[in-house]
Amino acid sequence: MSELVRNAGYIALSVIAAAGALTVVFSRDVMRMAAGLAVFLLSVAGLFGLHALSFLAVAQIFLYVGGVLIVVLFAIMLVHRSDEGRPALESRHDIGSLSVALGVFVLVSFSLWDVAPRLGDVAPGAGTDALGDVILGPLLPHFEAAGVLLLIALIAVLVVMGGDSE
Amino acid sequence: MSVVVIPAGLFAIGLYGVLSRRDLVAVLASVEIMLGSATLLLVSLATRLGTVDGSTAGIEAIGLFVLVVAAAEAAVGLAILVTVAYRVHTTRVDELVEVKG
Repeated sequence: MSELVRNAGYIALSVIAAAGALTVVFSRDVMRMAAGLAVFLLSVAGLFGLHALSFLAVAQIFLYVGGVLIVVLFAIMLVHRSDEGRPALESRHDIGSLSVALGVFVLVSFSLWDVAPRLGDVAPGAGTDALGDVILGPLLPHFEAAGVLLLIALIAVLVVMGGDSE
Repeated sequence: MSVVVIPAGLFAIGLYGVLSRRDLVAVLASVEIMLGSATLLLVSLATRLGTVDGSTAGIEAIGLFVLVVAAAEAAVGLAILVTVAYRVHTTRVDELVEVKG
């Protein structure tokens, strides 16, 4: 893939991701917000793919779009149920929130500006065999810790959801 | 264009959503945007700056761990959201001022 095509794809996917994120932030309809979140997550998966991280892109689609987003939709259906239609999501758009967000953007951009290289060609991906060697080799304790964390999260969900017997 | 600008901009959009949204579902979705942007910034810098051995396998592994943590956070967050909605009958963050169980 040539560098020009890669950069064009990066910018196009970035614009789509920003559109999805803005939909999440500004949409008043809860299902449109969920659709915007799906667009954002899929675009990020595409950006992972453009960085030659194909396994991470697939994991993002499986884990986020196929897992987390479905859970979000279930939560929306459980919480926002009403006979008179879906309630509108309210926001309080003030200058303070905008200032904080812009400040963080400027801070992160300028602090990493000199460190971060510009858009360009990236090294080819390592492949799943090398990833497996890393995960089941030097990063095995981290892999086990991630599994334990998921187990703790599962137990926490059960405690939170089923802890109240009243 | 630097690779920092896009993830930082997406992170700022998510942060603005967290600060301005008044519904827990939208706040959680905005947090997901912030997490996704942070992961994107992490792997963008890692792939462009390169690794010690020149392989991207370590980057994918670290990104995978971040995804796992984000999934755990989302599961617990949504469980709390549903529980709060059933107990207090609202998901407006303005009305959720007590953290006592």
